[in-house]
Amino acid sequence: MTDDRTLPTSKRPETVDLAASFEQSGVREILAELDDSMIGLAPVKQRIKETAALLLVDKARRQMGLATETPTLHMSFTGNPGTGKTTVALKMADLLRRLGYVRKGHLVTVTRDDLVGQYIGHTAPKTKEVLKKAMGGVLFIDEAYYLYRPENERDYGQEAIEILLQVMENNRDDLVVILAGYGDRMDRFFEANPGFRSRIAHHIEFPDYSDDELFDISEIMLNEQNYAFDPAAREAMAEYVSLRRDQSHFANARSIRNALDRARLRQANRLFNEAGGPVDAKMLSTITEADLRVSRVFQGGLDSDSKDQARQSAQRGAQ
Amino acid sequence: MKDEVRTETDLKKRYSAGVMKYANMGYWEPDYQPKDTDVLTMFRITPQDGVDAIEAAAAVAGESSTATWTVVWTDRLTACEKYRAKAYRVDPVPNSPGEYFAYIAYDLDLFEPGSISNLTASIIGNVFGFKPLKALRLEDMRFPVAYVKTFQGPATGIVVERERLNAYGRPLLGATVKPKLGLSGRNYGRVVYEALAGGLDFTKDDENINSQPFMHWRDRFLYCMEAVNRASAATGEVKGTYLNVTAGTMEEMYERAEFAKSLGSVIIMIDLVIGYTAIQSMAKWARANDMILHLHRAGHSTYTRQRSHGVSFRVIAKWMRLAGVDHLHAGTVVGKLEGDPATTKGYYDIFREEYNPTALENGIFFDQDWASLNKMMPVASGGIHAGQMHQLLTYLGEDVVLQFGGGTIGHPHGIQAGATANRVALEAMVFARNSGRDIWNEGEDILRDAARTCTPLKQALDTWKGVTFDYASTDAPDFAPTPEVSM
Amino acid sequence: MKLRQGQFSFLPDLTDDDIRTQAQYAIDNGWAVSVEYTDDPHPRNVYWEMWGHPMFDNKDAAAVVFEVNECRKEHGSKYIRVLAFDATHGWESIRMMFIVNRPTEEPGFRVVRQEVEGRNMRYTIESYAAREPEGARY
Repeated sequence: MTDDRTLPTSKRPETVDLAASFEQSGVREILAELDDSMIGLAPVKQRIKETAALLLVDKARRQMGLATETPTLHMSFTGNPGTGKTTVALKMADLLRRLGYVRKGHLVTVTRDDLVGQYIGHTAPKTKEVLKKAMGGVLFIDEAYYLYRPENERDYGQEAIEILLQVMENNRDDLVVILAGYGDRMDRFFEANPGFRSRIAHHIEFPDYSDDELFDISEIMLNEQNYAFDPAAREAMAEYVSLRRDQSHFANARSIRNALDRARLRQANRLFNEAGGPVDAKMLSTITEADLRVSRVFQGGLDSDSKDQARQSAQRGAQ
Repeated sequence: MKDEVRTETDLKKRYSAGVMKYANMGYWEPDYQPKDTDVLTMFRITPQDGVDAIEAAAAVAGESSTATWTVVWTDRLTACEKYRAKAYRVDPVPNSPGEYFAYIAYDLDLFEPGSISNLTASIIGNVFGFKPLKALRLEDMRFPVAYVKTFQGPATGIVVERERLNAYGRPLLGATVKPKLGLSGRNYGRVVYEALAGGLDFTKDDENINSQPFMHWRDRFLYCMEAVNRASAATGEVKGTYLNVTAGTMEEMYERAEFAKSLGSVIIMIDLVIGYTAIQSMAKWARANDMILHLHRAGHSTYTRQRSHGVSFRVIAKWMRLAGVDHLHAGTVVGKLEGDPATTKGYYDIFREEYNPTALENGIFFDQDWASLNKMMPVASGGIHAGQMHQLLTYLGEDVVLQFGGGTIGHPHGIQAGATANRVALEAMVFARNSGRDIWNEGEDILRDAARTCTPLKQALDTWKGVTFDYASTDAPDFAPTPEVSM
Repeated sequence: MKLRQGQFSFLPDLTDDDIRTQAQYAIDNGWAVSVEYTDDPHPRNVYWEMWGHPMFDNKDAAAVVFEVNECRKEHGSKYIRVLAFDATHGWESIRMMFIVNRPTEEPGFRVVRQEVEGRNMRYTIESYAAREPEGARY
């Protein structure tokens, strides 16, 4: 980052070709990739394009000597589970690296447990360890509001928050922090911790996916694993999506992934139990209506196995 | 042609009195698969006119193992099949008519464990004077792990040497005290102090500084250690001077080594001319007394330099790693003494690697596993100066002692200035390399930049600007590198 | 007197950016970088105090600069050095060492000579600073 920031007056360019640096930095490529690989998320994509443009212009301004400070790049990603926050964070890390705002562009994903310790003197080294690992890249704190527990006066979370704030201010060249979680809870968190609010420049909201988008996502996920729905299964899946949304623990794309994982399990059992003779590649890769219809979603809900469901989604969230 | 020569299998004919071709006596076995436990050698042979290459190779195998010029019946009292060395491959040398590479395998039982003297008495004992050959050169050897493990190996090794000196991440710097002969002990110590205080890690006695009328050894040791300790206090670094303990007898060498130890020296020195047994004895002494052992390869060029006859230095290097010395001179590539870059790389790999894969372009003909034997520190010495720092670091790497004798003592503003110039050039070059700069191409700029804040370096660069020793090497590899491995 | 230990003690003092570049070289080689400090710079004082463990899992040398600066906050009047450890078989020791912080005044060392029998001499090197108790040296 120091390369163009410290240019002496004599070496400053007179003009800057924004289009060329858009191409050369690979930003165009990564935005295209974002468009292609992620369904929906139109407002998110729009915000990222705007952010990329801002950073490109800012870089140009620094080359011309019009700006000297590293801009604040810390962000918040708000939205319901399964709306693509982690995936977009990965792309964002890559984007920032290509623009020269971070050196390595790796993403370190953590939750409160990774930052906050169990006893006195434990939290500071733990938080610093995580921050050091994230340096050169992006630190993604999932459900960041759990760091703040006002009901417990001696909660060690406060210590982590102080170190975080300090590093977010002093080491802006070294890492970018993304706080992620539900929108409403994040709002309350920012209200209680104005230090964070002032240090976060970019707020990006992730909307829920529409039924059509979730259906498309299900097809893409299946294709990636070399599976496909048969026509009746496609209908069942579309129906599944609209039913699932109104049931408990709905987590957008993550719920779809879980449903497909179970459908593959049922397909395997079906093939194993029913196939009399040899099975061909087509049979091995087709998900049928039956593999989906068995789901309790069609019987009115998942409440009977909601514990399992909650645990699963918590595990996935931590990954 | 190889298939025509066969061992005589009729035992009655084989052992009937008289003279017989070596190839027929069983010293040529083209089908032989060398065992993992065999000692392997590769000789360059130049047979006399009219002597068949295979017969010459078999003769070398025979003369370096069990054979004599005539058939002896007493062979039949032994498991002679096992003890016969076997020539198993003969190749013409590329671009050298009349020369052949002969590969020979020796059974492990032919050698006494842990004895370079025994090993060399076999391999190079008689055979180099053998009349049917115009010339003979031992090019390379492979020692089986089982044999390697019978040797102590370097007393200290590169890693522990660095730990003892507390010096990491850069080549070490040294200088040989000049003039070689004539300085009194007091004057000699002055050179040591100035060079070490100026920034060198080591100074060094020359190979022929032992105990002469102008300076007897105790005097030298006492003045040198005064200088070493003063310089250490002046810089806060561990310093050393290679005290040469070479003497007429082992008893005298031990006495000198003990005295060096009692004065707190971290390193002593011996010359190659003391002989392999004496070297191994000193290596054992060095291991037992926490002493780094420097070996000056005095005399080696008498048999290593000629391409067609003698022993390649890479073989000497292997013997010395087994024998257990810590430092050994190995060429500079860019200095005043013999040294082709590719061949020198081969030597350095033998010194410093855990495993040497065959690399014909570097003159290494066998895979060699060093079985965790310590690494030897190569010493680059002779006609090098600060202005070549980028070349030296590129060719020789980090684990090397760079000896700038003339380049330190000959500095126009004195020995300390010369030492400082070398140290600054070295640190600036390592710093630049680590920062990702292309030191090979930007070396001169890097030195010039460093000289801006270091007048001694500027003076050194001006004094030795453009001094190079660019002569064709007499010992370049026979195999040109393939494009993939060339740099 | 200037303490000359380490790789770069003959160069001008390293900036934070220099420290980062050199530490990054170590990290890119797979070495773990650590920070140590002392108020006893004797050439044979091997064990300086560790400022935390070697950093085994950091990709970016900003972490090293961060720790150097944390260490400076508490021990800015002492010597601080950066080390790189290589765990590769056959080395398993230090690969780099350079000083990144030093006291404003460096009193240096004195040579203590003990004259013994004959003309023999026993040498000892003493840090002037280390004559004061720990904590009161710089």
